[in-house]
Amino acid sequence: MFNLIGSAINGVKHALGGLYQVKRGLETVAMHTWREPTTEAYPDKAPELPPHFRGRLALTVNPETGENLCISCRQCERVCPDKCIEITANKSTETNKLELIDFKIDHGLCMFCGLCTEVCPTYCIINTNDFEMADYTRSSLIYDLKKLTLTQEESAYYFAAKEMPLPKPKPAKPAAPAAGAAAAKPAAEAKPTATVSPKPAPESAKAPETTADKPAKEVEKKESPSTDTPSVN
Amino acid sequence: MKIDGTVVRGDHFSGNIAEIRKFAVMSLSWLTVIFVAVWGVCWALGIFIPMCLANSSFDFAAILSEVCKALTPIAAVLVFIPINAMFMVLMERRALALFTRRNGPNRVGPDGALQTAADAVKLLLKEDITPTGADALMFTLAPIIFFAPSIFGALPLLAAVTNNHKLFQIVDLPTGIFYVLAASSVPVVGIVMGGWASNNKYSLMGGLRSAAQAISYEIPLVLSLVTICLLAGTLDVVSIAYQQSGGLLNWNILGGGALIGLNKAIAALVSSSGAPFAEVMNAYYPYGWLSFVGAAVLCMCTVILFGVYLIGACAEINRIPFDLPEAESELVSGYNTEYSGIKFAIFFLAEFTNLFIVSTIAVVMFLGSGDCPLPTWLNPLSYPAVYEPLAKALSPVLSVLINDLHLINPPTFWAALWVIFKTYSLIFFAILVRGTLPRFRIDQLMDFGWKRLIPITLVIFVLVAFARGVINFHV
Amino acid sequence: MEQFELLTNWAQVNVEAFVLYALAIIAIPCAFCVLFDRAIIRSGFFLIGVFGAVCGLFLILQAQFLALAQLMIYTVGITLVVVIALMLTNPRLEKEGVAVEGRERFSGLVIATVFFLTIYCALRSESWPLSSLRMNPENVKQIGAALITTYALPFEFASVLLLAALMGAILLAKAEPKNDVSKIAGEN
Repeated sequence: MFNLIGSAINGVKHALGGLYQVKRGLETVAMHTWREPTTEAYPDKAPELPPHFRGRLALTVNPETGENLCISCRQCERVCPDKCIEITANKSTETNKLELIDFKIDHGLCMFCGLCTEVCPTYCIINTNDFEMADYTRSSLIYDLKKLTLTQEESAYYFAAKEMPLPKPKPAKPAAPAAGAAAAKPAAEAKPTATVSPKPAPESAKAPETTADKPAKEVEKKESPSTDTPSVN
Repeated sequence: MKIDGTVVRGDHFSGNIAEIRKFAVMSLSWLTVIFVAVWGVCWALGIFIPMCLANSSFDFAAILSEVCKALTPIAAVLVFIPINAMFMVLMERRALALFTRRNGPNRVGPDGALQTAADAVKLLLKEDITPTGADALMFTLAPIIFFAPSIFGALPLLAAVTNNHKLFQIVDLPTGIFYVLAASSVPVVGIVMGGWASNNKYSLMGGLRSAAQAISYEIPLVLSLVTICLLAGTLDVVSIAYQQSGGLLNWNILGGGALIGLNKAIAALVSSSGAPFAEVMNAYYPYGWLSFVGAAVLCMCTVILFGVYLIGACAEINRIPFDLPEAESELVSGYNTEYSGIKFAIFFLAEFTNLFIVSTIAVVMFLGSGDCPLPTWLNPLSYPAVYEPLAKALSPVLSVLINDLHLINPPTFWAALWVIFKTYSLIFFAILVRGTLPRFRIDQLMDFGWKRLIPITLVIFVLVAFARGVINFHV
Repeated sequence: MEQFELLTNWAQVNVEAFVLYALAIIAIPCAFCVLFDRAIIRSGFFLIGVFGAVCGLFLILQAQFLALAQLMIYTVGITLVVVIALMLTNPRLEKEGVAVEGRERFSGLVIATVFFLTIYCALRSESWPLSSLRMNPENVKQIGAALITTYALPFEFASVLLLAALMGAILLAKAEPKNDVSKIAGEN
């Protein structure tokens, strides 16, 4: 008899305990009503991605001069686990330097591991924040040099956002507008990244414009001590 | 909020007001659309057409108007069910979104208010596929058998929730609640049939589980309602609803009428006219402390019965946490795996209609039907000093609506408003439960049904039968 | 409402006959299907149809309570259990012994004829008094009162029978692992 009563009391305790747990669960869920949704309104509002987000691959240009930074060293091509990069380059007979002819990345193969961006000596190949690459055919996922190359503004943005040291000509450049176009020319030619001779002319024309660009200038100032190291290399 | 339930400051009330407002606006506007439509149809069919016919002079006018009146309840249900199901699906999705910190559907129409309407159109236009190897006849019959009872089962409740309006008296059956229960036991045949006819192992398993579950949980469900009928002394839903009028203390959830005496005594005390407090108490509780113990036991029992009813009803209509027949994780989608297009739409419609009907039964049987929760002696509107000036101020407008057009019938109107409020609150609670509790395992489900709920309801049945003897009910 | 009463009275005979025939049209083919359908589960579902039609018959006889009890207990409860039991059987096992012997066929025919004659005579011989009284709205109360006064004994017998059936079912379903083990141990 006592046993029965005891087990009945136990059962009631058990039931009440269970009910309490259910009540707590319901409370917790109900309280969530007051918390803001975590949903991103994606197509309406672009997501705020961190600068190191590994999106579509692209080639930067020198944010000040607009010249392509690729030196055709093929390190990215070699390191790529998916073998999705294909570089066509030609050794120029005049300067005895590699001249980039075409740069192809098959984004259908790419797995966005970012290894290519790590090995690139000139910070030319980077992961952008763009991820909207949906397309209708596989062949249209193979991007060529023209599609890959960023504009000057975009390059400037990524150099600033990713805190990458600006390409070498930069320490010479701030002096360039003051000294005039003549000073800029030899400075540009002295760089290893500099290409064939016809190019420096538009470069020097563009130089004053880019230096006027505010964010680029700020980055320059900040990075000025560290930018010296690559030039030593 | 941390996992252990403590609230981190600044996290609470941090401003989801915009989403809550959207949800409220959406709900209110949909409810308005639903009930204005139902109301309009009822008025047109039950009052406007007969009024027009009364003026005309052809032979069949009288008969025709009577036929129109007789068809009003079924027309009301047929208009109500599809629109209501659309709203309930939307409400469920939006409410779940609130609980899980999402936005919910917000593309179609203003703030996604037309999402389910678009879904319904899509489902109706989709190709109707009968899988190879399926039993075509049974496959087609299953959704119909699943859906039809929810139309007919709802009818007797109509009289109860409209305060016995004369248009709906025709559906007020003397066996009211028994009829509703019988109708609600039929859908499981549809599920088993659909599960077997689909020629799919998942569907078959879903059907079998559903049958096992429905048969086991129907017993506590019916026993809990039967106990309430025992307290009320009738099966007629309208009388059960009437017995509970007069405020919260009279409702079946609080003692099934055991507190009516207390209610009346307090009313006598407040009004300080009529019989004195002690006299009223003696009339209702003749055996002194024994009666009070009886009343306390009854109160406890009916609260437990309400809980048992909610659990049994949840299981009966296959809602989470009892949705084993359509468990996505193990049975794909259970009995409706193979269904698409309009047949799937019917299954879906019936499921949500069943949820609504089950909530309405709970409101009628336990929560006082269309009764204002304030006791009469607390309700300011029940005092002529407050009520009469209000009535006078509004009378020019209201008299046209009430007396000339018969557009509003005040007792029905207020009762319907309360029923709507209570029913959708229960539905909201069901959604909250869905957002919280995980699914039962099948053996736990059977254990819980047979070893816990049925003994509990049987014990309560006996307790109530004895406790009822020491209190005077409904004097 | 009086108009409606008139209308129903006027049409009652016709409507009742019409509904009766409609129910018969459902019930009789369903009954035949129960017998002749090859898929045994389908015949189970047809049985549900037959019971549903019978429930309709009770309704037009104004026996609301009986009709609903029929629906709830026979149509849904019992038949569904039967159907589920059928689903758990293996149809392939039965197919092996399909051939029915001539003698079995003959005895089956005899039993069927005797049953048919009995029911036919029972239906024909007695006069079935039809009361023209309307149903008392309190008929549920009357049924309840009758069950525990006039018919208390049969009612109790029925419940004892059900209890016995339940206990029998439990006994049949109860596994006896202990006995088996001891037997095997004894043999060894």
